[in-house]
This record gives sequence, C-alpha cells and structure tokens, in this order.
Amino acid sequence: MLTHALDAIRTFMHKDGAVLLPELELLLFAIGILAMDFWITQRERFWSPALALAGTVFSGLTLWMLRTRILQSGDLIGVHESVIADSYFVFFSALFLVATALVILLSLNTPTTSAVNQGRHYALLLFACMSMMLMISSVDLLVIFLTLEAAAVSSYFLAATPGFSAKADPGAAKYFLKSALGSAIVAYGFSLAYGLTASTNIGKVATGLARRHNLANVIALSRHADAQGAQLQQLLQTRLPEALHWHPWMLQALPIAAFTLVFIGLVTKLKTLSAHHWSRITNSTAPLTVTLYLGGAVVIATIALFLRMSLTVFADSQTTWWYVIAAFSVVIIVAGTIKSFASSNLERLVTYSIQVHIGYLFLGLVAADEAALTAMTYYLFAYLFMLTGTFAVLLALRRGAHHNSEQSGNVENLSDLRGLRRRSPITALLLIIFVLSLAGLPPTAGFFWRYSLFRALFETGHHAMAWFTTVASVPLAGAYLRIVIYAWRNNTSSPQAETSPVSFGVAEAIVLGICVFVSLAAGLYSEPFTRVARYAFGP
Amino acid sequence: MIPVIHYLFLSFSLLLIGIIGAKIRRNIMIKLFSVELILVATSINLAAFARLFGDAAGQTFALFTIAITGAELLVGAAILAAVFRRWHAVPVPAAQEAPPQPNIDY
Repeated sequence: MLTHALDAIRTFMHKDGAVLLPELELLLFAIGILAMDFWITQRERFWSPALALAGTVFSGLTLWMLRTRILQSGDLIGVHESVIADSYFVFFSALFLVATALVILLSLNTPTTSAVNQGRHYALLLFACMSMMLMISSVDLLVIFLTLEAAAVSSYFLAATPGFSAKADPGAAKYFLKSALGSAIVAYGFSLAYGLTASTNIGKVATGLARRHNLANVIALSRHADAQGAQLQQLLQTRLPEALHWHPWMLQALPIAAFTLVFIGLVTKLKTLSAHHWSRITNSTAPLTVTLYLGGAVVIATIALFLRMSLTVFADSQTTWWYVIAAFSVVIIVAGTIKSFASSNLERLVTYSIQVHIGYLFLGLVAADEAALTAMTYYLFAYLFMLTGTFAVLLALRRGAHHNSEQSGNVENLSDLRGLRRRSPITALLLIIFVLSLAGLPPTAGFFWRYSLFRALFETGHHAMAWFTTVASVPLAGAYLRIVIYAWRNNTSSPQAETSPVSFGVAEAIVLGICVFVSLAAGLYSEPFTRVARYAFGP
Repeated sequence: MIPVIHYLFLSFSLLLIGIIGAKIRRNIMIKLFSVELILVATSINLAAFARLFGDAAGQTFALFTIAITGAELLVGAAILAAVFRRWHAVPVPAAQEAPPQPNIDY
C-alpha cells in the first residue's frame, strides 16, 4: 500500500510535479506556518517569519533547478497542458519570491503584538506568492481565473490586516468590492473568448482568434474594387459563401469586446491596489508592508498576466487594440499625476503615484516591439526595488513619528519631513535616491526606462504618445521633487529635529542596501539588468 | 433549441446591470450583489457556449465560477461583518467621504 502511494508520488514528481514544485513548496511552508501558529508562544514568534523566509529560499532554489532544466530540455508543460514552466515564468516567479522575501524582512521590525507579526500574516504572504506564480505559469483560461481569484482572496485578507490604528476594515471593504468587480469583468471577458474559439487553452484561443482576424482581413480586402478583391470574392464564394454577407467589423467586434473587458477588469483591480491604502472615513491606513506587497508584487503579477495574455491570445489584433490601451493609459496617468500632485500626505503621494507607473507600463504595449517589451520587464524588475526602498524609508520614518508623538497611527505629512537631513542624513539621502528613481530622473533606473520607452514609442511611429510620456513626466517629477525639497531643506524649526533620530534594524538595512544597489546600478550600468529582463522572453 | 444569441443578450444585459449597480448604488450589499450578478452572467455565457459546442470544458468553467462566487461572497461577508461590528451600521465608502483636510504648509 505504502510503496504504491510512494510510486504514485514519484511518478507525479517526475511529470506534473516538476512543473509545480516551487509552488508546492511554498504551499507546504504556508500550511506549516499556519499549523505552528497554534502552539508557539509569544516569545517564539520569530519562527513564523524565519520559516516563511526559508520557504521563499527553498522555492527559489527549486526555481533555479527548474531554470537549468528548461535550458537543457525546453519548456515543461504539465497538468493537462494547463501549466507551463518557461523563462517568462521563471523570471516573474523569481521576482515574486524576492518581493515576498523583502516584505517578510521589512515585517520583522514591527512590534510582536501587531497583527503583522502573526503567523497567519506570513502564511497569507506565501499563499499570495504561490497563487501569483501559478497565475504566471498557467496557460488555460480556467486556471488563470482560478489563480487570479486565489491571489485576490489572499490580498483581501492581507488588506484587512489591522494597521497602527486597528481600523483598516473600511479600506479593505472598498478594496474588496472594486477588486471583485474587476475579477468578475475579467471572467466575463474569458467566457467571451471561450465562446469565440470553443477552447480554454490560450494557445488554441489564440489560433482561433487569429483565424477570425485573418478572415476579417480577407473579407475587408475582397470589398476593394480591384483585381485582388475580385479574386478574393471568388475564393470566398467557393469556400465560405455566407461570409460574403458578413461585415468585417462583425467578426472583429466580439474579440475586441473580450479584450476590452479583460483589460478593464485588470485595470480596475490594479487601480484599487494602489488606492486601498487610504480610507478617508476613518483616517486610517493599512500596514505599510501590506500596501507595499499589493502595490509591488501584486501589481507586477497582474501586469505580467496581462502581458502574457496580450502577447499570446490577442497578439494578432494588436493594431486594433492599442487604441484602447493608449486611451486608458493617458487617463490613468493624468488622473494619478493630478492626485499625487495635489496630496500633501507623503504616503498618499507615493501610493497614488503607483497608478501613474501602471499607466506608463501599459504604454509599453502600445509600441509592443522587442525593445518596448524588454523595457517593460526591465522596469517591472527595477520598480519592485525602488518601491520597496521607498516604503522601507517610510516605515522607518513612521516608526520615528510613532515614538515621538503620543497619537499612534500618525500619518506622515510632507511637512513632517522638515529637518530630515539634520535628523538623519542617510535617511534623507536614501529617500532622495528612491524618489528620483521613481520620478525617472538620471542617473537612476527610472530614467533609463523612461528613455527606452520613449525611444521604442518613437521608433514604432507613435510620436504623439512618445511626446505625451515626456510632457506628462514633468508634473510627476514635480510632485516627487516636493519630497526631495522637504527632505533636503535645512529647516531647524521642526521640533522633531533633535528628539527623534531615525534608526534602522539589521533586516531593514539589508533591504535598503539591496534596493539602493539595484536602483542606482540599473541606471548607471544597465547592460546586465537588460540581459536579465530579456531573459523573460526566452533564454 | 433557443439560439445562442438570446443567451448572449441575457448575459450582456446582466453584465451591464451588474456594472451599473456596482458603480452607482450606494448600499454596500447591493454593490456586492451586483458583482455577483456579473459572475452569474459569466456562468450563463459559459453554459450556453458549452451547449453550443457540445463541450464539457465550458460547463466545468461555469461550475468553477459558481464555486468561486461562493468563496468570494464568504470573504466579502467576513470583511463586511468586521466593518459592521465596528460601526453597528454598514458604511458606504464613497458616500461618507469627509473633505480632505487642508494641511499644506510650505
């Protein structure tokens, strides 16, 4: 009996299990943390983050082995052709694992009584990471929808984690409602895609949609009053007589509707990811680490999913749908810039500006050539480290404010930054580096990416969009420069100046070191980083 | 057999009702129900297409959609219950927004 079961497990691990092994390890660790949470005491709390970190490390090692296997024998497909392990999956999974590990490291410094320090918080982080990895590796609409929802449910619970003031609920409810609306719209788009092609496998869906697109093109050409048109009309007469009465627009309408619904759904989800942080009813905020996770890893996962879908399923009709993307990006960029420019609250400024970055990232799909896509993955990579660095500084600042003032949950205003250079020159310098990188100013990673995007847009003939990105980045840079001015201005009138030094723990110092290195190195010497980014599209 | 286009019209109107409901209604429960309406529309679509193609994949997808609807409703209910416990009423995020406080001081 036992040998039978062992044999079954061995066969599974050789076939489907090999594709799923990194995710399975994370799942095991998450369940272990949840189970352990019942019997550890307050003093043994450190075991949960330690196990969670070990889980990400183990999963990362397995991913590395998977990578060598892919290099040797090509992409692995398993579980009834619904899950694939290719370089795209390896690249983004590694990114999610790094994001999770950084968030776990940043959570270490929170007080042991806070909700962030419970075992379930770390288990949820691992669950979310696992779902996102599966989401990127799945090539079946059903599995994509399931994993999208699994990641969403984990993030709902994460968003409902009480923060400083233990009042995150209304923000979580708002986030839940909008995100659920987004998922439902995505599901509707998927059902249309299934209806058009009679398959849920995205390869087959892509073929079906491409065939439809070609037929529409043939019909459109056959309506021309020239020799080729007459020839095509004759061909249609013999092959598909009813197609003569179809309008090409009729054939294109439903695929475009499916694309638009999927896009709108994902954008709805993305927009709430950055906005959930702040709930105006209670003046309360979710824990910064949770906002970082949602604004970093989950945003990257959603964009990566959309990228994979648009490169496979909707690749043929790119000439038709880029208008949709361009219009949405412009709206998101303008709205996000205005919001972040208008807010005088430091945390809100950063969270609103995440929206602007999402808009810029989608513009890469307008150009959709190799340079633009590589720039997109490069930026997704760099963005994670810039954002993590910014949030690590914010966490330290918030802790300082928390120590100093009696009111807990005091949210940092821009004016609270006054005298930061005097309080802690290193913090000021770090904040300025990350903010400059987010603003896209040289010599940081953000600048290199802006420049690549501009060049890709210009070379593919989207001159208007290229100039728009340049013009729109000026007010955004202005919004960020306000932070720089506040942090650097030598203003001694602040009462905090002497009383509250900003201190970093060891874990925070490690995170900040990694983030500063990537933000600067990727801008100054970008070649190795571009090579890593290009790896996503094939070894 | 009813042509598939009828089902499509039904599900499309459900989708529109759902989106409009989730956007403009102020009661948080009705917002939640509107979202679930869109998932129902998805299931109708999938079941109709599955019948059209004589294919089990669509039906499986529809079943999973229903299961996910249930799970999501549960999570939503848990979060709303937490909100309710705190305020003894269901607040509507959009409706009760306080004006942002002017705290710009250069």
